[in-house]
Amino acid sequence: MKRRISKPGEFIKGVPIAVWLLALVAIPLIFTFIMSFYSSSGLVIDRTLTLKNYKLFFTDPLYARILFKTIRLAVAISMLSIAAAFPLAYMVSFKVRRGRNLLFMLCIIPLWVSYLVRIIAWRTILGNRGVINSALMALGLIKEPLTFFLYNQFAIAITLTYICIPFVFIPVYTALEKIPRNLLDAANDLGANELRTFYNVILPLGLPGLVTGFIFSFIIALGDYIIPLQLGGTQGIMFGNLVWSQFGFAFNWPLGAALGFILFIIAVAILGLTSKFGSTEGGFLGE
Amino acid sequence: MKADNAIDLVNVTKKFDEVTAVSKFTVEIRKGEFFSLLGPSGCGKTTTLRMIAGLEVPTEGQILLEGGDVSSTPAYRRNVNTVFQDYALFPHMTVRKNIYFPLKMKKISPSEAETRIERVLRLVNMEGFGNRLPQQLSGGQRQRIALARSLVNEPAALLLDEPLGALDFKLRVAMQKVLKDIQRNVGITFIYVTHDQSEAMTMSDRIAVMKDGLAHQIATPDEIYNNPSTAFVASFIGDMNFVHGTVLDNDGKTCVLDVEGQKVTAKRAVDLGKGAAALVCIRTERVQVNPHRSVENRVSAELSRIIYRGTDYEATCRIGRAELRAVVQAVTWDAALRVGGTVELAWNAEDVIVFPREEEKDVIKYSGEAV
Ligand SMILES: Nc1ncnc2c1ncn2[C@@H]1O[C@H](COP(=O)(O)OP(=O)(O)O)[C@@H](O)[C@H]1O
Ligand SMILES: [Mg+2]
Repeated sequence: MKRRISKPGEFIKGVPIAVWLLALVAIPLIFTFIMSFYSSSGLVIDRTLTLKNYKLFFTDPLYARILFKTIRLAVAISMLSIAAAFPLAYMVSFKVRRGRNLLFMLCIIPLWVSYLVRIIAWRTILGNRGVINSALMALGLIKEPLTFFLYNQFAIAITLTYICIPFVFIPVYTALEKIPRNLLDAANDLGANELRTFYNVILPLGLPGLVTGFIFSFIIALGDYIIPLQLGGTQGIMFGNLVWSQFGFAFNWPLGAALGFILFIIAVAILGLTSKFGSTEGGFLGE
Repeated sequence: MKADNAIDLVNVTKKFDEVTAVSKFTVEIRKGEFFSLLGPSGCGKTTTLRMIAGLEVPTEGQILLEGGDVSSTPAYRRNVNTVFQDYALFPHMTVRKNIYFPLKMKKISPSEAETRIERVLRLVNMEGFGNRLPQQLSGGQRQRIALARSLVNEPAALLLDEPLGALDFKLRVAMQKVLKDIQRNVGITFIYVTHDQSEAMTMSDRIAVMKDGLAHQIATPDEIYNNPSTAFVASFIGDMNFVHGTVLDNDGKTCVLDVEGQKVTAKRAVDLGKGAAALVCIRTERVQVNPHRSVENRVSAELSRIIYRGTDYEATCRIGRAELRAVVQAVTWDAALRVGGTVELAWNAEDVIVFPREEEKDVIKYSGEAV
């Protein structure tokens, strides 16, 4: 599909969006980009341009290691969120006849509760005297509380997955709702049982929603630093924490800017790759 | 339930909660037949078709396909295919992939599939469109692809649910011919759903006329037109006059009725006794105005309206409180006739059909027609 923006009406409609994008995305990004070439000495920022910050990123293996760990965790979290949200969306969209809207609301209710409250809630679930340990001890299955639930990557993954599920559920559900139901009848009529209908019709047509959901959860997981801080413990330092600490205690804003910009580039690259799969026309799974 | 039937329905009933969509439908559809389900919207045509396809489970009754009971066979294992009302082409697949779909489900080898796809594309006159997406086709072209996709596996019967409903008039008439030709070429049984009586009449070998889930009549177009079994069928097909009458005399072969004080004779078996209230039906094109030849039925009437329609004139006449329309070919129309004048109307006794007056409630009224 070709996009034409030649019509004056279209152009005027685009103006507010352009202003909005410029103010909220482009300008801060440009500032970050410029600042990443400054350097910091003590508490003052030296405005002579330098590649020092980027050099540090490429020479100190700590940064690459944590970045890799963060990406790996973000991918895992996205996969987990999809694994949880897709069957849910599928059931609500295809298998439920009455009360579908109610179920949809139930699935996105977590979004109404403050992010921080939900993190604290997970801490009380996973903690030493948390819900899981108390339950296991009450059942007599364990004597001492299990400590591997909290302050590690497992805790980060489970909490972030929980945070991401509604963000995957919504686009997937929307995509599934858009599939004309007579296509399922047609597939059935032409010899496909439920499984093959799912694989040949529902999955490819739901794919754009799946990709959008993946992108949402991946971005949320990639940049988050609060959950690692609250639940991650020492092995749970993520790239977001590195960036954040440069702006916080370390007071090295230029380095923070450089690391932030690197994260941004990586996110854009991965999104670019992923969104290729989102097109339903031809290509992957486009039977 | 002969083995050479394509499809047998035996007392098939479908209830949706309170609504009875189809009620005790029994019919034998022969191999190679062009069979139509005709009736107004909501009469149960689609439901009947979906039960044959296996997409809906009958509440009661049996469905046989080529003599074998398929009542509990799921749709994907039934050897029938459906052309859906809005085509239901897979939007993420090209034309070729769409047609390949049923072949793939049947595990036909790709090379064999390729020849079959080409053949069926040629059959529907759509060669060269294989790599288009459905969105890139016109309505008529999508229609042909849907047809090709349903035919490619050579099913025992092809089920078509108002396949031409979304097309404009000219294209619809053209596609009727295409469909009929294709059916003759492939020799597959067609079960065709439509609410358009002229479509059913021109295309079908036999028609089931339905109303409120009931099959009123299952017969050839000719039989349905000339010997409708109920007042509903009489009103749904063709253009029919309905007037009130009272039976004066009935010997089982000839029935004499009183219509607004004038005698009307019907030469057919009528199941009504002396004095019974009747509904008297005469086709508009069988009513002659001021005829030269003498015929059994002659009444005098007042000409109350004349409408010129190009190939013919419609003359509306009053006989007392009753109204009768006559459709006369323009070439035979007497230009001296004027509104307000008196005319003689005449028709053959064979052309008079009589139903009990109770059936009047089933009569489909077209606008401008008075009963
Ligand atoms: N899935 C369904 N649930 C409830 N009622 C239905 C369903 N499908 C059809 N009906 C009802 O059954 C009747 C017949 O419908 P249908 O077979 O679609 O008629 P037609 O195709 O002749 O227009 C209608 O009254 C319709 O409302
Ligand atoms: Mg219908």
